[in-house]
This record gives sequence, structure tokens and C-alpha cells, in this order.
Amino acid sequence: MTTFPAHAPIRLAACPPPGLVANTLAIAQRELREAVRSRWFILYTLAFAVLGLSLSYVTAAAGGGMGLSGFGRTTAGLVNLVLLVVPLMGLTAGAGSIAGDRERGMLTYLLAQPVTRTEVLLGKYLGLSGALIACIALGLGACAAIMAWKGDATRPASLIWLGGLSLALAMGMLSLGMLVSVLARKASVAVGTGVFLWLVLVFATDLALMAGAIAMKLRIEELFAACLFNPLQVFKMWSLHAADASLDVLGPAGLYATEEFGAWLHAIFGASLLAWIVLPLIAASLIFARRAPV
Amino acid sequence: MRTLHAILFTILLAAHAAAQDPHAMAPPAPTTPRVASNINTGLIGIRVRTARPGDVIRVPAGIYREHIRIETPLSLVAEPGAIIDGDGSGDIIEIAAPDVTVSGFVIRNTGIDLDKENAGVRAIAPRALIENNTLEDILFGIDLRDAHDSIVRGNRIGGKDLDIARRGDGVRLWRSDRALIENNHIHDGRDAVLWYSQGITVRGNTAIRCRYGFHLMYSDDVTLEDNEVAHNSVGIYIMYSRGITIRQNRMIRNRGPSGYGLGLKEADRFTIENNLMVANRAGVYLDGSPFSTQVPGVFTRNTIAFNDVGLTFLPAVRGNRFTLNNFIDNVEQVSILGRGSLKGNEFWHEETGNYWSDYLGYDQNQDGVGDFVHESYTLFESLVDRHPKLRILLFSPVEQAIEFVGRAVPAVRPEPKFIDEVPLMRPIAIESGRPAQQADRVGMTLTALAMVGGGLGLALLSRPVERRRRTSATGGDA
Repeated sequence: MTTFPAHAPIRLAACPPPGLVANTLAIAQRELREAVRSRWFILYTLAFAVLGLSLSYVTAAAGGGMGLSGFGRTTAGLVNLVLLVVPLMGLTAGAGSIAGDRERGMLTYLLAQPVTRTEVLLGKYLGLSGALIACIALGLGACAAIMAWKGDATRPASLIWLGGLSLALAMGMLSLGMLVSVLARKASVAVGTGVFLWLVLVFATDLALMAGAIAMKLRIEELFAACLFNPLQVFKMWSLHAADASLDVLGPAGLYATEEFGAWLHAIFGASLLAWIVLPLIAASLIFARRAPV
Repeated sequence: MRTLHAILFTILLAAHAAAQDPHAMAPPAPTTPRVASNINTGLIGIRVRTARPGDVIRVPAGIYREHIRIETPLSLVAEPGAIIDGDGSGDIIEIAAPDVTVSGFVIRNTGIDLDKENAGVRAIAPRALIENNTLEDILFGIDLRDAHDSIVRGNRIGGKDLDIARRGDGVRLWRSDRALIENNHIHDGRDAVLWYSQGITVRGNTAIRCRYGFHLMYSDDVTLEDNEVAHNSVGIYIMYSRGITIRQNRMIRNRGPSGYGLGLKEADRFTIENNLMVANRAGVYLDGSPFSTQVPGVFTRNTIAFNDVGLTFLPAVRGNRFTLNNFIDNVEQVSILGRGSLKGNEFWHEETGNYWSDYLGYDQNQDGVGDFVHESYTLFESLVDRHPKLRILLFSPVEQAIEFVGRAVPAVRPEPKFIDEVPLMRPIAIESGRPAQQADRVGMTLTALAMVGGGLGLALLSRPVERRRRTSATGGDA
């Protein structure tokens, strides 16, 4: 290994030494492997699939056997299911990751390898995202199978949209979870905070929004703008928009959004979800890089 | 109530929907058709001018760029391929004599002057028969003025590609009694509108992508049957008219700021039966109908399914009777705007109720009627009815949470919105034509396979990678 052939520099250029990408991917693979074998992954996948299956089964039956089916009533139900399950999944998975590894001493071991902290964080993020993709795809795939069997008139495209958007939501929540994980000292605290955040996002913000809309007489523009800050509402509005090409099902505020922004809605929703994915992750990596050694 | 109206009005304005606001529309005063110098100067025009009563003029294939005024009772019959082109100005055919037939033409390219109401075919004399024509790129399509006993049948009428406010009506009747409008296909126009016309039958037509599919203004004793109205702003809108029968129509996906399958404004003596209202913003919209409460508004054997709201009532509406209807999976089955009450309407009568897909009871004695009363009280819905803007939170988990609170805590439970004492256990079969949508089973199966396959592939991804890395590692050691 002391003498290089004459063309060695070219080969080196074509095949860069292990760096950010390679390290990140290696850690991502490890994380994915571990996640897929873990109990939470199997439980969440099962729960998601079973709930989705029963939902599609029941709504397919509710058409009354008249050969009628609506604008994706099943999809609307699935949206609701995703809104409850996916954020919980993302938040707890993210919250448990770094904090859990720290508690088990795994983090010390990992950081002793020739990898940077950013690489560890990114790798873990990607690996867990992969696990969430698998979970969502399996759950929704099972629903799609039931819908195909029962002849539900939901368009396949809207289900695929739902899958993609669920993934974006899951990654946003995962990002938030990892921020919590980086900040927390103990895994139990991290997961607890994750569940608390889930409650806040699922119920508290919407209740506050309702109260605000009634008590402070928020105008519809303000109401719509406020909803854009909640990733769950953005996910919900986006998936309805994608399924139905109109938000008028959401009443005056939805009509306002459709008329005012039209095709730009995709960009607006996309920007909001992207912000939820990127910003907490950047914050997490900055904090993680600056924290005292574990 | 006032603020609610203000809000609704603002929305309508914001949606630049002056054209879609029924109140904003003044009755069009028919202008006297002006005789331009270029009328009856073309090939067809000369023959029309010199024809004797009762003549049948056959027009061979070809493109005729001319404007025609028929002043003799005659038949103008096209052979296939005969096209009359208005060159983008004025009306194209005007029927000024009774008993005229215009049949089989392609009539295209009128002017776009809304003041002069440029029309493809305008009849100002009784008993016109206008059939099997194709009207393209026209401002107004077929305009009957004082043309009693006319027949408009089998035409295809397509409007100009203009903003909705600048379009004309596909079909318009003005004081033309006893007309028959049958088997026409109207698309991309403004309305098919009946003004002050009595005893009309509208049958077997389709209207798509218009503003109002069919629109009645002060027109009594009208029957609308077997029509399909889809993708309009409003499917069928009945205003200030009496003696209306609406049966076996299909109203599908009429959406937007108005977005009613069927709208009734100060209508009286109406019977709505065997219709299908699917995926509209509101299946049925009731405003001041029935106007007098002597005769109930009858809704029977309709299927009202998958609309955002099944029935929308303005606060003071009373005197409607709903029996044997199917209310299937509307996001909100029945809504009463503002703080109104539904007490003046019947959701069951004697021994017959309706089918409600959200009915929670059971039927122990197997008589097809639920053993418990169907009461609709939902906390979230009543909140939404009072504050429509809260609809933006629909489908959120918070909606279920609030409904749960409403069920669990009687103190906050709202008054039942309405009661059906004899709810049906199963939807009843109705005859209203084809189902609205077809399932895409192949696509869905492929989606399922792709998703499950992708998910499993990802979950199993780690194993082969691991093996490969191990072999490469051993290779490196060697």
C-alpha cells in the first residue's frame, strides 16, 4: 500500500474518501436496521395498518351499496388517522433517538469513530426517516388493497398524495423530535416532551385557534395564516387540496385561500412543511455540535 | 345574522363572483334586434329572402359566412357539413316568423357584445323548432323571446372562452310559454335561464361548466326531469317561481362560492323527487322556500350524498317535508345558518322517515325502521353553523375531541338540530340514472402493490447491505 499506480489520483478523484455523505449513509443504514427490528416500528406499523384497514373497510360499507362513492370520504378519514398517528410516531421516534443512545452509552461509542456530530445526527435522521417511510407505505398500502378490493372510488392519485404528504409530516415531526432529543438529558424526559408536543400540536393549538377565532373575531385571512404555522393543519389542507383541487370544503377560509392563492397553495404548503423539516434539524445539529462531550 | 351575511357577502366579493351572486343580477331588458346591412346577403340569406311559406330549404355542405333573418314560415335544413359562421359579429340566425324549423347546422362565431346579446339562434316568433344544431363559440346560444310553444331539441351549445362575467346564456327563454327544452348539451356558458316563461318542460339535457346549469326566474309550472348538471357553480337554481317539479336529475360536483346542487329561493309549490345530488358544496340550498307555507315543499326519494353539506337552510326557512331520502356521508348532513331553527320543517312524516348514514341505532324487530329516534346534535357542527370560518378546522382531531365532549357532557350538548322519529335502516333504491363515479380498481391495486412492496423493500434493505459490507470487509482483510 505504499506505492500508488500512475493513475491513482484520477481514481481518488472519482471515488472520494469517506466523508460526510458516506459516513452519514453508513450511520443511516445502521439506524434503519435497528429501527426496523425495534418494537416501536413493528407496533406503529401494525397499529397504523389495522386502523387504516378497518377505516377503509367501514367507509366502503357506508356507501350503502348504491355504487356511489364520494370525494374520497375514505381519504378524509385516513387524513384524520394520519393526523393522529404519524406525528406521534415521528415525535417519539425522534425524541428517543439521540437521548436513548446517550443513555445506553451508544453515543460515546459512535462519536469515538471518525465521524462528526453532524454526520451522526443526519445519519440518524435519514435512517429513522427510512423507517417511517416503510411504516407509512405498509400501512397505506394495506388500505389501498382494501379499497381496490371493495371498489372504493377514491382516486389512487389522492392516496399516493396522502402517502407523500404523510411522509413530509412524519419527517417534520421527526426533526422536531430530534431537537427535543438533543436538548434532553434523559430518554424518558425526551419521549415525554415529545408526547406533550404531540398533544399541543394535535389538540391545544386547534382549540386555541377556535377560541381565538370566536373571541378575538379573527378574520379568515388571519385564521388561514395562523393555520399555516401548524404542520398538522398544513398537512390536512394540502392533502384535501391535492385530493379535491379545492379547499372550499373548509368553508369561507378555504374559499378565500383557493381564490387568493390558487395554484400557489402547493408552494405555500410545501414551504411551511419544508420549514418544519429543516429548521428544527438545523437547530438540533447546531446545539448537538456545541454541547459538552457526553 | 347581519354579521354572517356581511361575511358571506365579503366572500362573494372576494371571489369576484358578482356574476355568481343571484342578487347582483338585474333582469336583462331585451333590446330590439337591430337589422344590420349585411343580413340576408349571403347564399342562404338570398334563398331565405325569396322563399315562399312552407318551403324547405336544404343547405349543402360548406362554410357560409353570413347573417340570416327568417321572415317566412319555412324549414332550413342542413346537409351534413353545413356551417354558418358569423365572423365574430352580431347574431347569426334570427327567426322572425312563426313555424320555422332550423335543423342540423353548425352555427359558430357570434359577436361578443353583451349589450346586444349576440346569439347563435334567436327566435322572436312562436312555434320555432330548433334541433340538432351544434353551436360553437357563441355568446348567447339559443334565445327565445316571446316564442311560445317552441322546441329546442338535441343541440350542442358551447360558449365562448371568456371570463364568466362576459359570457352569455347557452339557452334563454324570455316570456316564451310551453316550450320544450330537450336533450341538449350545454357547456361553458353562463346559464340556461327561463325568464317569465310558464309551463316549460326541460328534459334530458346536460349542462356542464356553466354558471347556473338551469335557472328559473319567475317561471311557473315548470318540470325539470332527467337532466344532468355537473361542474357548474349551481346545478339548478329556482327563483321566485311556483309549481316546480324536479325529478330524476343528477346534480354532481357543483362547487365554488355558491356551489349548490339545487338552490331554491322564494320558490313555492315544489316537488323534488328521485334526484341525485352528489359531491356538491351544498346538495340543496333553501332560502325562503316554500315562500307561502300553505303547501309543504316536498323532498322525497332523493339521494343526497358526499356533499360538503347535505341541506343548507337559511335561518327562517320553514314548511319543507323530507321523507324517504338518503342522506349518505355528507360532511355535514344538515346545516342551518346563523342561529335559526329547523323546527318549521319535517324530517319525517307519519310513518316514513329518511336514511341517515350517521344513524347510530339498531333495528331489533327487523322492520327496517330504527328503534331509536335519530337526533342530530353535534357540538362542532352547531359551532360551525354559527361561525362558518371554523370550518377550516374540519377533519382535525379537535373536531372529534369536541364531538366527544358534546356527547359526554350533557351540559354543553346543543339542542337537537332536528329529529327523525322513524329513521330508515337501509338506503332506499331510487331511479336517478347512473352512479356518479367509477372505482379505479387497477390503479388502486397497483398503488397497493407499489406501497407494500416499497415498504417491505425498505424494511428489508439492511440485510443485503450488511452482507455486502461484510464480504467487502473480508476482501479487504485478505
